Amino acid sequence: MRRKKVSPFQQIIVHGFLIIASIVTATPFFWMLVTSFKTPGEIYTIPPKFIPSEITLKNYIDLFKGINFWRPLLNTLIIVIIAPPLSILLNSMSGYAFSKFRFKGRDTLILLILATMMIPGQMTLIPAYLIVRILNMLNTYQGIIIPGLVGAGSIFFWRQFIKGIPDEIIESAKIDGANEIFIYFKIILPLSTPFLITSFVFAFIGAWNSFLWPLIVATDESMYTLPVAVSVIAGQYGENIGTILAGSTIVVFPILIVFLIAQRYIIRGIAMTGLKF
Amino acid sequence: MRNRIWEIILFIGPSLLLLLIFTVLPVITSLFLSITDFNAYSFLDWSKTNIVWIQNFIDVLHDDLFWKAVLNTFYAFILAYPLTIFFSLLFAFLLNREETYFKNFFRLLIYLPSVTSTIAIAVVWSWILNPKYGLLNWFLGFFGIPPQEWLSNTRWAMLAVVALVVWKAIGPNMLLFIAGLQGIPEELYESAEIDGANRWQQFWYITLPGLRPVLLFVSVMLGIGYLQLFEEPYMLTGGGPLNSTLSIVLYLYQKGFKAFEFGYASSVAFILFIMIFGLTYIQMKMRIYQD
Amino acid sequence: MRRKILLIIMILLIILSSFSFSQVKTIKIWAMGEEAKNLNIMAEKFTKETGIKVDVQALPWTAAFSKILTGVAGRQVPDLAMMGTTWMAPFAAMGAFEDLGNYIAKSKVVKQEKFFPGSWETVVYNNKAYGVPWYVDVRVLYYRIDMLKEVGYNKAPDTWDELYDAIKKLSQKYGVGKTGIGLSPTEPANFMPFVWQNGGDIIDKNKNILVKNPEFVEALEFYSKFFKENLVAKGGANVFVDFESGLLPMFFSGPWMVSMIKEQVPKITGKWMVSVMPKKKTRTSFVGGSNWIIFKDAKNKKEAWSFIEFMTRTENQLEWYKILRSLPAVKEVWENPELANDPMTRVFREQLEDAKSTPIVPEWDKIETALGRRVEEVCLGNRDVKEGVELLYKDLQKILRK
Repeated sequence: MRRKKVSPFQQIIVHGFLIIASIVTATPFFWMLVTSFKTPGEIYTIPPKFIPSEITLKNYIDLFKGINFWRPLLNTLIIVIIAPPLSILLNSMSGYAFSKFRFKGRDTLILLILATMMIPGQMTLIPAYLIVRILNMLNTYQGIIIPGLVGAGSIFFWRQFIKGIPDEIIESAKIDGANEIFIYFKIILPLSTPFLITSFVFAFIGAWNSFLWPLIVATDESMYTLPVAVSVIAGQYGENIGTILAGSTIVVFPILIVFLIAQRYIIRGIAMTGLKF
Repeated sequence: MRNRIWEIILFIGPSLLLLLIFTVLPVITSLFLSITDFNAYSFLDWSKTNIVWIQNFIDVLHDDLFWKAVLNTFYAFILAYPLTIFFSLLFAFLLNREETYFKNFFRLLIYLPSVTSTIAIAVVWSWILNPKYGLLNWFLGFFGIPPQEWLSNTRWAMLAVVALVVWKAIGPNMLLFIAGLQGIPEELYESAEIDGANRWQQFWYITLPGLRPVLLFVSVMLGIGYLQLFEEPYMLTGGGPLNSTLSIVLYLYQKGFKAFEFGYASSVAFILFIMIFGLTYIQMKMRIYQD
Repeated sequence: MRRKILLIIMILLIILSSFSFSQVKTIKIWAMGEEAKNLNIMAEKFTKETGIKVDVQALPWTAAFSKILTGVAGRQVPDLAMMGTTWMAPFAAMGAFEDLGNYIAKSKVVKQEKFFPGSWETVVYNNKAYGVPWYVDVRVLYYRIDMLKEVGYNKAPDTWDELYDAIKKLSQKYGVGKTGIGLSPTEPANFMPFVWQNGGDIIDKNKNILVKNPEFVEALEFYSKFFKENLVAKGGANVFVDFESGLLPMFFSGPWMVSMIKEQVPKITGKWMVSVMPKKKTRTSFVGGSNWIIFKDAKNKKEAWSFIEFMTRTENQLEWYKILRSLPAVKEVWENPELANDPMTRVFREQLEDAKSTPIVPEWDKIETALGRRVEEVCLGNRDVKEGVELLYKDLQKILRK
């Protein structure tokens, strides 16, 4: 253990700086929440009011009355429940295979897959849209979910992580007669728990926030996801920023809560990948 | 012992299939589209499309709006890239020190911005940046700075966009750097200490080299990500004012999804790909030389 | 096991999402903005009369054009849609709409003579009628009576010179930048009327480009003068708050603002009024509005047509007016006392006599983008008028030659 004596002065500077940084990162959230409960009279004040003297739920009520809010919420929930588990399943299985399987061309294949990471999403956006249209998946859940299930980056991360699992465990299981499916479910997955949770939370966040792809795939309102619906409302209620921010709050805060609960695992999970670059 | 075919197919098959259909195939299609004049009218009647070979590319390179987008994107990159790395590193150090209290609390708060969707948070930002009623101008007023038009003035608009980008990006990169720092063995520091190295020397000869892999990774990912700048200008300014925040991808989006000139847009995407590939290649070559 | 359950759930959801529960005839309609919010009132009345159900889907204005285009291309369209007048041409050119000629010929309710000529013009493409006008809108000047009185204007500014003078005086009184006129640097509906009032236009019937003509140049000079002298309102919150606070004493907009202003900022009721456009050579304003169209790929065309007939009936046009204050496209509705006796509505009626639409050509979208860009560069950037006009000319050449 390094025993360093740090000057109180240094401590003050460091912590002061950290506090300022935290204020900068946290203020927009606080401001969004507060403004969403303000009446128009209190929103358009100079100087800005931090604590409203009058709290109103009208912004939220208007929101729910406005465009059909529940359907986008349902859509987002469906996507968020279906996509992350499926995508983790696919990506981790592939990651395991690229890490521990032995077959010809294994390493070349992973390199090719990595190469696809370098291609800007927008280059694939237009043709992917056309392909989805040909497959008649426009404006459907399948169309929104399936194209995004597999990610080269995720496969790569899983591969790196599973590399850290000792080969001996797997070998002895094989000697005992286990097949790959058994190994995957009974050995790999349990050993990956923090990383699993981390991946799940990231996938959840990504699915919850997905905007551009659902915006393009949805040809009518029934398929809007929550972020898309919020941007619709921003257009319709251009007059009252309170309503718009109420919409933003609904999109942002559930994620924050999920994140707060899982954050211990996330921080540990990233560190655990070992980052063998 | 080789794995059996069915195992390979089961574990990799679905992923490969999806990648093939939704990534590889689109890339090939995009390459093909870029040499056609595929547009809205072609949608309903494929036969209306013509092959125009490199005409699209010529048109793109002659469009001053495209070059404006390129300039804007690189301007944003030159600002955002060093700022992101600097602050992520800084916070990583500060929040890796033993002597810092409440490390988890600070880490959490600084990571928070990246968790939200740009769409939702951009609205808050534009309200904070409002010239008359916004928090920022009110705050700056205490320092005697007159209210600025952050989003409707060409001087500030891109800076506001960059600020949002960096604000969101610091968190995850900070975590990566922390992981990297923790991966450097204690013994190296201890033996350096014994040899009489001071803190600065330790930083230069142990910490930095130890961080090299992470730095390379972060650097490459930031390059790939920032050149594809889209959501922040799309939400905050729509590309304006006077196209001062028009990024390459935003330009591509406008041409592809508003004017529906898909052939043209695909050629823009291809040009962008070359830029990103080039930048990534350069970065990887640089680091290798340093090794 | 977990995997199997997930698979089953996914399949179920996929099946559910494509299953249609409805047995009753339902027509689907795409609508935007305030109209989408209120259309259900008329829809209910329609359903009571005919038994046909109506399903209104709201599209955001910002993405509506893309959504419709995507829908047309993906062959996922509803039966009906409300279509802005400036969007008729591109979609009609694509063959997205049903030719309504036969329906109109057989109809007792929908006849060309019933509508304002300017409005009917917007549904015709290649000599065929692809839509039926629903409501029209025309832009007029909104102004604060009390503030204009303060600078010596007892009625609205009547000419270009008076318009400039009024806002200049207000700016001197309250401080430069503290008040201004509402002008958009990019919207053609704001800018083009000035060109028309000066006797010019952007292109003519044969697609000749008219932007280098003196009428156009003069109009751009006049328009940009407001920006260059800091007489345009900026940095506010929204139109209503700013109209009330005095930041925005004058602006141009359409009839929908009347009821919205009364609702949002009731405190200034009685302190504001509308007036016809200030005159240069004429007082020409911008006319727009929405038409009903039936998609070529619609599934329930007959039922959709009966909805159009329903909305065209005089009593329903009147009722729609009462809901949203959108001006009826059917002329005889205006004879109703509700419209004939209202002082503000009379202003709109007067303005409708002298109002034009932007050219109904398929390239209008691209023309609009180029126009908006160059006008913005002249107004906000450092472009001078001559340069801006030159560049616009080149832009239009490229667009129209394609």
